[in-house]
Amino acid sequence: MPAEPADVLIVGAGASGAVVAKRLAEAGFSVVCLEQGDWHDKEDYPGVRLDWELQARKRWATSPNIRGLPEDYPIVEDDSPVSPLMYSGVGGSTLIFAGAWPRALPSDFRVRSLDGVADDWPLTYDELLPYFYRTDRDFGVSGLPGDPAYPPDTDDAPMPPLPIGAAGLKVARAHARLGWHWWPEFNAINSVPYDGRRPCVQRSTCQSGCNEGAKASTDVTHWPKAIAMGARLVTGARVRRIETNADGLATGATWIDREGGEHFAPARVVVLAANAIGTPRLLLLSNSSRFPDGLANSSGLVGRRLMMHPFANVAGLFDEPLMSWQGQFGDLIESLEFYETDERRGFVRGARWGLAPTGGPINAALPSRAGTQVWGPEHHLHVRTHLGHGANWGLFAEDLPDEANQITLSKSVTDLSGIAAPEVHYSMADNARRMLDFHIERASESLLEAGAYKIEVDRLMRYSGWHLLGTTRMGDDRATSVLDRWNRTHDVPNLYVVDGSCFVTSSGVNPTSTIVAIALRAADHLVETRAYQAVPA
Amino acid sequence: MTGQDATRSSPDDPLARLDAGRRAVFAAVASELIPAAHGMPSAGEVVGDARLRFVLGARPDLLEPLLAALRPELGDDTGGRMATLGRDEPGVLAALQLVVVGGYYTDREVRERIGYPGQEARQVVAWKVPEYLEEGLIDTVLARGQTWRDPGTGRRRGGTAARPAWRAELDGDAPA
Repeated sequence: MPAEPADVLIVGAGASGAVVAKRLAEAGFSVVCLEQGDWHDKEDYPGVRLDWELQARKRWATSPNIRGLPEDYPIVEDDSPVSPLMYSGVGGSTLIFAGAWPRALPSDFRVRSLDGVADDWPLTYDELLPYFYRTDRDFGVSGLPGDPAYPPDTDDAPMPPLPIGAAGLKVARAHARLGWHWWPEFNAINSVPYDGRRPCVQRSTCQSGCNEGAKASTDVTHWPKAIAMGARLVTGARVRRIETNADGLATGATWIDREGGEHFAPARVVVLAANAIGTPRLLLLSNSSRFPDGLANSSGLVGRRLMMHPFANVAGLFDEPLMSWQGQFGDLIESLEFYETDERRGFVRGARWGLAPTGGPINAALPSRAGTQVWGPEHHLHVRTHLGHGANWGLFAEDLPDEANQITLSKSVTDLSGIAAPEVHYSMADNARRMLDFHIERASESLLEAGAYKIEVDRLMRYSGWHLLGTTRMGDDRATSVLDRWNRTHDVPNLYVVDGSCFVTSSGVNPTSTIVAIALRAADHLVETRAYQAVPA
Repeated sequence: MTGQDATRSSPDDPLARLDAGRRAVFAAVASELIPAAHGMPSAGEVVGDARLRFVLGARPDLLEPLLAALRPELGDDTGGRMATLGRDEPGVLAALQLVVVGGYYTDREVRERIGYPGQEARQVVAWKVPEYLEEGLIDTVLARGQTWRDPGTGRRRGGTAARPAWRAELDGDAPA
């Protein structure tokens, strides 16, 4: 580790950290990134192997508590019906995300003004448009432009859409009859060769890593370019705390290597990109006499307002074979029919639906989503009627912020380096419960109209905390927010947070597209204002 | 049953810790969970040495709970064993079920019988006009007009949806 301070130190090599690293390296900044996990080769991923479904439930599980790898930290989640999901490695959770790439909608940034709940964002959909355009090209997005659920001419994509499969076609026809919205999903998955990467082969193992390199994970989309431009990526580096000086400026990070050795990485600017669990954990760990409640926490909101998109799964079973074990696990199609507020429904805001493949025979026998286990002679009929005969609507409910939903530090559980683990305290709000109940009914109608003879429902899926948001919200008022509109902490002028922690409200869509657009905007701002950036002497 | 059960032992063989008693219990439990029926073989018949080695090789973490699930102290009644595990040790029961299911559905002949070829690589044909466009299913969405909610007014935008460039191309009237 060089003694000379880096211009920018980034913590976390996932989606947002990679975007910032690449942009700043392009602009000539010296960049160092600390990542607690490691690199993976495409050959590591089990999707091409016979043991795929077995590995997806352990080594390649989306929950760090199930994986239990040395680079993972445990999460105390007894006080939450939803388990946070993430991955530690170069690429972060993009290694195991589905690749669905919807954008937040214009109304998502004006929830207080439109619906009288939560808060407005300090930025707008229109402000993010140029960043969506750039990140869609950097990541590689497949989609069909022209969705009237978005403002016109704002949803271009660099690649044509992926197939929607037999299940998607059935449901699309049903929605045409119902007069409901549907659209082929935008996915950060190649439909044609793109940027030196191969196209998708529809193996449907996206959440165990993409063997083709077709899915956009930042280990293949961003880091090779960032490193070629001079960025330095240190793996196996677990950050213990962010250090500050007498002026209240961040000076770098103390980190632990795989053998337990302690190091200090000096920097002029520190950028946190460790997700909405890891980032507040690190800020709370970085308390000091000057920052007794944790770094950048004068508002008391660090770790609070955690949002995770309460998720329900509605599965329809069909007589005819759909081969629904194949297809991109980033969604086939989506529906935003009931996305916007209609107060006659008894709740505000709404949910996005994404239609997904249904997995292989082990999942048919031991369903990880909606469904039951059946043993005895009827087991065979159960598997035959489920395997390849299903269509799954995943329902992502907008999660409104609640300060009681929060991350704290455990007093008894630590990671392998002895650093306090995060505790998750979370409950689903009544508004979200009513929202999910309504959407479950409508999604059931959708699948029945498509010809399903049976509906199976998981009303709140435990292992669904893919979308971690809100724990260092942005805002213009330092008393009620942690970050300013450029992702800089109000309290420490050379400390930034660029992951989903910055979200003011959650929207009801998969957030990665929006997270990385905001991260690129923050990086652009860092470049544009570098002459005025406060740095330690 | 499919010729995949050729014996193979090594110092690291996970089966070395499964004595004859536990193997017998496993076969009985496997056949109770997945019996021969509807033209399918039982799991007791299918999940022999090769399949067990495969599962425990892939998932060595399942060995200890499997040994616990098969311990003689739980008695000879297979149904009672599973009921006890389900009540007192659900994680152990889940591991036992996963070993049975994992062994059964990674067997080549079982996969053939259920018509599952595995997760196959299939080329995406991105140049072909999708069926949903040919059927006009997207046109029905466009015909409803703009549905996004204007943050300035709070109302659905309404009005005719913009005609996407791809639509004009398909209709053969794209601007030169």
